[in-house]
Amino acid sequence: MKRIFFLLRKDFIRKWKNPQVIIGFMLIPLVFTFIMGAVFGRQAEVSLPPIKILIVDNDQSLLSQLLLGALTQGEFQKKITLVKLKEEKEGRRLINKGQATALLIIPQGFAQSVWEEKPTQLILVKNPAEQFLPQIAEEITDTITLLLSGAVTIFSPELQTIRTLIESNSSRQNTLDDKAVADISIRIKGKFEKFGDYVFPPILWVKQETIELPGKKEAPQLSFHGYILPAMAILFLLFVCNTVIEDTLREKEKMTLFRLLISPLKMEEFVWSKILTAIIIGITVTAFLLLLGTLFFAINWGNFWMVAVLVITLNIACGGFISVFYSFVKTERQAGAVLSTVILVMSLLGGSMVPVDIFPQFLRPISRFTLNYWGIEAFHRIMFGRSWADLAPIFIAFTLGGFALAAIGSFFLKKNLVKGYAG
Amino acid sequence: MLRLENLSKSFGEIKAVDNVSFQVESGEIFGLLGPNGAGKTTIIQMVAGLLKPDNGRIWLDSIEALVNPEATKKLLGVVPQEMAFYEELSAWENLFFWGSIQGVKGKILKDRIHFYLEKTGLLARAKDPIKKYSGGMKRRINLIIGLLHQPRVLLLDEPTIGIDVQTRLNIYEVIKEAAQAGTTILYTTHNLKEAEELCDRIAIMDEGKILASGTLKELITIVGKKDIAYLQGEFSLEKAQEVLTSLPPEAVLSLQEGKLVLALEASSSLPPLLELFFQKGLTIHDISIKEPSLESVFLHLTGKELRE
Repeated sequence: MKRIFFLLRKDFIRKWKNPQVIIGFMLIPLVFTFIMGAVFGRQAEVSLPPIKILIVDNDQSLLSQLLLGALTQGEFQKKITLVKLKEEKEGRRLINKGQATALLIIPQGFAQSVWEEKPTQLILVKNPAEQFLPQIAEEITDTITLLLSGAVTIFSPELQTIRTLIESNSSRQNTLDDKAVADISIRIKGKFEKFGDYVFPPILWVKQETIELPGKKEAPQLSFHGYILPAMAILFLLFVCNTVIEDTLREKEKMTLFRLLISPLKMEEFVWSKILTAIIIGITVTAFLLLLGTLFFAINWGNFWMVAVLVITLNIACGGFISVFYSFVKTERQAGAVLSTVILVMSLLGGSMVPVDIFPQFLRPISRFTLNYWGIEAFHRIMFGRSWADLAPIFIAFTLGGFALAAIGSFFLKKNLVKGYAG
Repeated sequence: MLRLENLSKSFGEIKAVDNVSFQVESGEIFGLLGPNGAGKTTIIQMVAGLLKPDNGRIWLDSIEALVNPEATKKLLGVVPQEMAFYEELSAWENLFFWGSIQGVKGKILKDRIHFYLEKTGLLARAKDPIKKYSGGMKRRINLIIGLLHQPRVLLLDEPTIGIDVQTRLNIYEVIKEAAQAGTTILYTTHNLKEAEELCDRIAIMDEGKILASGTLKELITIVGKKDIAYLQGEFSLEKAQEVLTSLPPEAVLSLQEGKLVLALEASSSLPPLLELFFQKGLTIHDISIKEPSLESVFLHLTGKELRE
């Protein structure tokens, strides 16, 4: 046991004095998470540039004003800037110069046609130089036109009456007849009540509920960074373990293993010291990563003790898993080729690079045989505030599986290392 | 004491060690002299327990190594050809680690590290990472690691390859002191001068076999009281062989293109031989006559020259 301590101490000093590789494997997940977060994540949400729509209102009617008013209501107001122009020619010139997203032309007689329920059309000229903003402008205009068209159809008699009232009122330069206005109001109310049976309450609706766990405050939310960092961390954690256990072959090539084998040290002690070094360095790296994830990306990892157990058990699993592969690789070069391939393929299948949810159905069951899948799953469960009972199977599987693999790995690895000392 | 009895080891068709036996007494420096591939390192590895011999037995003091390998490990110290230590660590950190692994503890370990670093002139650089050391300094650290636990038997596998004279002398001094303290030392080398200077007894090895062994004086008697003539010139093997038929075969120690070594009963027999050379039109432009040495013995036994 004492000799294992001396071996661990020696390896930690060596890694401490030569930390570049480990630091690299620690920083890469952070950089990846930052970049992916910047591209896809919430914090870097793409803010659309304002949609500038030029308006030429050749009708100047109540209805055309209503249409333009609808374009600047609510959320639209934040996104859309309307610029009224007098002439269509000027609008087309500005569009050709690329100075607006679209030009909306309301033709003369638009309101008249609508009142008489005759087909009519609005003209939308889109800026060809822009890719998606004109599409948005088109969608918005289509939607409002559809709504307006529907409303006109439903309330056609009432609108006709209002129109007559307005026109007669404007000719008399006087106030509206109160009785007529009240009559229309009652009729509109009546129609709303008839439609109300269908519209209020809606047939389907979504009720939002937040489940509160006993003795717990609000469960932490899974942020984009909180999704991506554990996935990346597990991938590079495997590389960290690989770098440390690869040292067994390096020691063989440098003949320090030769010297160790001549000492009273047992081969098992040497192999287990490497696996333990990998596990301890892995735990340290993961702890740092999680801490930096909290500092840089404000990730709430959830229950501290659960995270601590996960970090330890996950690293036991990673160390054991990697050690098995060193049972048959003979040189550092072989190890580099085999282990890099294994780690990358397993990480791809396990969801470290691409979320498993978007995998085709036939691949998803395979994911469940990877360390990455269960590591990511465990992190997510903790972040969603799941119980110890939910996490226990993963923790137990990681620990038992990890030690079992490490035992198999050490058994074959020591045989592999003793070979080939013939001079 | 180290004793090898009929030790053999083959790798496929190649017999790396062929029925080797010798005994090294306590406090003795025993040299294994031979070219690369002679089987010296294979013997070291078998004694160290890293290679299992096909045949034979090995004793360290009264313990049979193959029967009780763990017990023999405690008696052994090994200095391999390679610089077997951690270059990222300082000399002190390395020695502390290797000493600890060998079971040396606390103050005893620290005192020994201090003693050996001072002895080898490395104390001032003890805290520097070894990767910043010169080749000679690294060789000295390599040696100290093998000595820290004061082993009963020390195996040194060509420990002075590629170092300067000063470092070499320093290493000799440390080894001689270890021997004086009672350590049994098995020293492999392909350097004739080193073997002459350092070893109490020498075994000459080639192609896995020990061809002769004994003290330097005993080995020289193999050649006998003869003059060793070294001739250099311009001659082909065939033509030189025609001339040399006049001599007994054992007189020709080595013959190469342009290079000839002869063991002559008396140097007076050389002029008639030179006359024969001139008659055949062969040119000799350098002649030296020396007393028999380990080099001439080696040439006599193997027909090969040893180069460092």
